[in-house]
Amino acid sequence: MKQFVFKRTLSGIPTLFGMTLIGFLIIGLTPGDPIEMELRRLGVSFTAEQVEALRVEYGLDKPLIQRYFIWLLDLFRLDLGTSIASGRPVLELFKEHLPITATLSVLAFVSSLALSLVLGTITAVSQRTSVSTSLYVLTMFLVSVPSFWLALFLLAVFALGLGWFKLLQFGNAQDLILPVITLTLGNAAVMSRLVRERIIAVMSEDYIRLAITKGLSRRAILGRHVLKSILPPLITNWAISFGSLLGGSVIIENIFNLPGLGQLALQAIAERDFAILQAYLLFMGLVFFLANFAADLTNHWLMPQLKEDDHGVR
Amino acid sequence: MAYVDSAKSIPLSRATQLLRGRTTFLLGGLFLCFFITLALGGETFAPNPPNQIDLLHRLSAPSLTYPLGTDHLGRCILSRLMAGTALSLGTALTTAGLILAIALPVGLLSALCKGWVDAVLMRIADIFLAFPMLVFALAIIGYLGASLTSAVFGVALAWWPSLARLVRTLTLEAASKEYVLASRQCGQKPLSIIRRHILPQILPPLLVVLSLEMAGLLLVLSSLSFLGLGAQPPAAEWGAMLNEARPFFAERPSVVLAPGIVIIFAVLSFNLVGEGIRFQLDKRKPYRW
Repeated sequence: MKQFVFKRTLSGIPTLFGMTLIGFLIIGLTPGDPIEMELRRLGVSFTAEQVEALRVEYGLDKPLIQRYFIWLLDLFRLDLGTSIASGRPVLELFKEHLPITATLSVLAFVSSLALSLVLGTITAVSQRTSVSTSLYVLTMFLVSVPSFWLALFLLAVFALGLGWFKLLQFGNAQDLILPVITLTLGNAAVMSRLVRERIIAVMSEDYIRLAITKGLSRRAILGRHVLKSILPPLITNWAISFGSLLGGSVIIENIFNLPGLGQLALQAIAERDFAILQAYLLFMGLVFFLANFAADLTNHWLMPQLKEDDHGVR
Repeated sequence: MAYVDSAKSIPLSRATQLLRGRTTFLLGGLFLCFFITLALGGETFAPNPPNQIDLLHRLSAPSLTYPLGTDHLGRCILSRLMAGTALSLGTALTTAGLILAIALPVGLLSALCKGWVDAVLMRIADIFLAFPMLVFALAIIGYLGASLTSAVFGVALAWWPSLARLVRTLTLEAASKEYVLASRQCGQKPLSIIRRHILPQILPPLLVVLSLEMAGLLLVLSSLSFLGLGAQPPAAEWGAMLNEARPFFAERPSVVLAPGIVIIFAVLSFNLVGEGIRFQLDKRKPYRW
């Protein structure tokens, strides 16, 4: 186990560095000189010498590689820079907006995980009932519905129609109910299709036939044999789903007007506030990286004999 | 094994049978044909000019002149939906093409050169895969500025690595065939081997996968347009129409919901076709209670 953790950490380091490099390069390659752009924005008149002096002051005259390492050092010190639009440190803005996004994604993740296991098992194991058929059609429909439409539909029914929820305002925890439901439904449908697929794969195996012929009970077969062999690919998939929840929360936060990281990023895109955008990309990348890491570790812990397969499935 | 066999031979319920396999495929195909027809001749079928503004009939209910009602500028929603088909599907198709244009060379190079080229290229793919897809697309759009072009680039850049991996796997398999080895020993040039022997093997499965990805691409691109990061008004792109109508949601929800239903059907048709193909290829016989 220790050896595996060590190896996996070691192989993760180049990826992490690559991620910071991409995060840095996107800024480094943006068209236009940042100093000139900022001066123009402030409406100050300037000469070429002044720009040059400022470039030296901000260290922009150094070669790209050197600037990358300076920036990387700052990153390790959690110095994420300052937002141009609001003049506040990016870290402070992040601390303000993180709780909403974290609550939203974690709640949606847990509930869609539970829902997808139930949906997937029912649609895979029993096929002669109208319940499982209609559930199957429902998941097919839900994976085709854009999350923003689902959100607006739920708002139309429950906020405009029934008046159970307030429209487009965030005050207390109750206002998170609809956003979580929206994220859960879409995500659970996608996840349940994989659960179904995996269960069907296992149920076609000979050893399940043997277990059935042997007279093992349903519960024993599902709990002992099926669950054990579907878990590893599912855990890998759960990490990926968590990533898509992090991305998907942008849309949901936007519709429900929740002050989360997604809204912060959208605002940053509109204001061309690159420091925030860069931090957003790196932070989400890091969370996703850790989720994948945790999935790999869990898989190894569950089944040490499993060969590691470079987490290549997406 | 008599017990097992008798269990297998129990017929599927009629409803399930109808929903699976050929019917699914045909239904999806029918929807797709409908959308393709609309895309090719959307504006000629439209009852009204899609950009004709009629301020006297803002947000009106469905009528004979405006079968689905009008939006906040009095434009005919049905006509705009029909006219927008070409743009919405075309964008997804362009993105798919762009993804293929990146993934194909990368996957081929990686599989055929092996060694350090393979290691480096797959490392790069790993790094791109390390970001959540939508987050990465957002970052790219952020730097390029919000427009349909940057949405296409953003999505393509976030999406290519998984396809490049697939190209690599398929190519490795294709290149290990004996006639490919033989033609190499006969002194065929690498490029002509790729063109004559490898592409014909890997393109069919690749195109199938890519057409299945269209459902996902449509969803992502319309989401981006909905956020105002893709197609910009007054373009009649479905997601952008939803975005434009949002301020009037409380006043008339149907203005917002109608374009969404078209998106759902377009995505559903790709998903149905995909499900049909998968069902046809699936030879497994799982035990079911």
